[in-house]
Amino acid sequence: MTNIHVPDDALISVEKLQMHFPIKKGFLGREQGAVKAVDDVSFYIRKGETLGIVGESGSGKSTTARALLRAYEPTGGKIRFKDPDGVWHDLTHKSEAEMRKLRQHMQMIFQDPYASLNPRMTLLQLVSEPLVNIGVTNKSELEDRVADLLSKVGLRPENMSRYPHAFSGGQRQRIGIARALALNPTFIAADESVSALDVSIAAQTINLLQDLQEQMGLTYLFITHDLSMVEHISDRIGVMYAGRLVEVADTASFFEQPLHPYSEALLAAIPIPDPKRARAKKRGLVKGEVADPANLPVGCAFASRCPHASELCHMSNPELTETAGGRFVRCHHSADLKLQGANYDQ
Amino acid sequence: MQDETILEITDLNICFEMREGTVNAVNGVNFSVKPGEVLGIVGESGSGKSLSARSIMNLLPRNATVTNGSVKFRKSDGEVVDILAEKRESRKMRELRGGHVGMIFQEPMTALSPVHSIGKQIMTTLSLHTDLSKKAQVERAADLLAMVQMPKPMEMLKKYPHQLSGGMRQRAMIAMALSCNPSLLLADEPTTALDVTTEAQILDLIMSLQDELNMAVIFITHNFGVVAEIADRVSVMYLGNAVETAAVDDIFYNPKHPYTRALLQSIPRLDGQKRRRLQTIEGMVPDPFNLPTGCVFHTRCAEKMAGKCTSQIPELTYFENDQMARCHLHQA
Repeated sequence: MTNIHVPDDALISVEKLQMHFPIKKGFLGREQGAVKAVDDVSFYIRKGETLGIVGESGSGKSTTARALLRAYEPTGGKIRFKDPDGVWHDLTHKSEAEMRKLRQHMQMIFQDPYASLNPRMTLLQLVSEPLVNIGVTNKSELEDRVADLLSKVGLRPENMSRYPHAFSGGQRQRIGIARALALNPTFIAADESVSALDVSIAAQTINLLQDLQEQMGLTYLFITHDLSMVEHISDRIGVMYAGRLVEVADTASFFEQPLHPYSEALLAAIPIPDPKRARAKKRGLVKGEVADPANLPVGCAFASRCPHASELCHMSNPELTETAGGRFVRCHHSADLKLQGANYDQ
Repeated sequence: MQDETILEITDLNICFEMREGTVNAVNGVNFSVKPGEVLGIVGESGSGKSLSARSIMNLLPRNATVTNGSVKFRKSDGEVVDILAEKRESRKMRELRGGHVGMIFQEPMTALSPVHSIGKQIMTTLSLHTDLSKKAQVERAADLLAMVQMPKPMEMLKKYPHQLSGGMRQRAMIAMALSCNPSLLLADEPTTALDVTTEAQILDLIMSLQDELNMAVIFITHNFGVVAEIADRVSVMYLGNAVETAAVDDIFYNPKHPYTRALLQSIPRLDGQKRRRLQTIEGMVPDPFNLPTGCVFHTRCAEKMAGKCTSQIPELTYFENDQMARCHLHQA
């Protein structure tokens, strides 16, 4: 892609992000190619909005989020972040010490509430750790802040001396959220944060995230494989396939009419919790399986499964291009296709 | 046992004696399955759905005790087996498992043997339950793989599970479960670990095979979307109780139990209407060591009646079209 136009109210912009992991083989550990986990991904997130990223496992969703917070060292591309004073920072060239300062403003919530909390730390220690990291040491100040944070996420401050094992999955996820909020961030990346939770608990957590967004003006990158959840929470949606972003659109128009054949396939595959609509749905299921990011085809990664693929698709990889209404799509034929959205009317 | 049913579970109670106390994991579950019918069992984690299914195979964990109830299965020759009265390793049980009842699991990588090829594993089942010759077994195994739409079945027979993708492994497991033409298939969250497009393919496959072979299916899941697509009847479980059982349309459009209603409202519907908030169910699932008295759902129920729901366990109430719910609201 040449250049995406980044709007003035953007908080984060990502240009041609690339994250390749080398495959090493043999005694000398020579590089035998690379897993192209993320390849040529460009998007921006506006301040206060929620961008949902959907895709199947191995499509590079989590890697994108981690590279965004520089948990991985991206192998290419540019990540820019606007701090609360309105100054743009190029994260790709920041040293670890500089990143440490910036990470106050950008935080992450993880998928597995059982694995992401240290079992030997009390709630007080867990939630105050980020504060201690930036140099807050006064014990009573820490306790006050933690109590405040815990009540914000709906946990009882009296419990701050307990350990994570005493809490259920949903409560642990709230501890993770409290930890992420400790430094008053402006941006939070939530990586499958409700996928491991039961239906009723997931709904409570989603509501909490939305309330916090309203109160604190947070900006979210919400990663999930659950399209119904993404429809509920996101303002805009990005779809990833085999390490590439294939479509970005605002939620309503995406569900009405997707522009990329893979988006159509995803929408056709979601099980709809409504028996009448489920029976009425005509199933145009895609055949085959997700392309291997270690061994991507020359052309479009989806071409081998795409019902609309032409010779061109197998020969050259399309660029992500901007179309009407601020939507982006990576497909040679999107202009000629009339794809089926989620069929709402029944 | 009614004539037309293939499986009948009556008043099943299962508990675990643990150091911390007794966990009543299943408390009075009742359901039955007719030949060719798909029963979906939905519920949150810890609701006892998998345990109920494992009782059908007589494969409960060793520290589990069945305190009450029966599980009866009608074989294709008409003989009724009282499963829980049989010994775990009895000849009859071993004939039943794999022979009359097939089972597929959530995680095919742990359910399949990593050191035997797919073909070998299918042929083991065949040699236990049929008297086919070695050559006929190979042919039958290849046919089965073709039936579950695996490409190049003859080559696939030689593959090991780690060489296959998640979707392909699940297909291999389905082929194995179907190898002896079971009349009942137990599917315990078979698509939960799969991606959406693969999940849709596997669901389609199970539905077409179910239709073709006219077998009954018990499909356990926590996903209401999957249930809406696949089930004829649905049983909703909460804390070891089947709180409501009904035809799929009645569950979705005319639910009787407050838990069913609340669950349905707490899932995003994908219907294009922007709702600001999802409805939630108050509180959390209670601690299984300390089940609430009376109706187990009363601690979170929006329609609870003081005095009644907190003290008396509700009886099953029957409605039209074989719908039943365990709730005081519907009792005169």
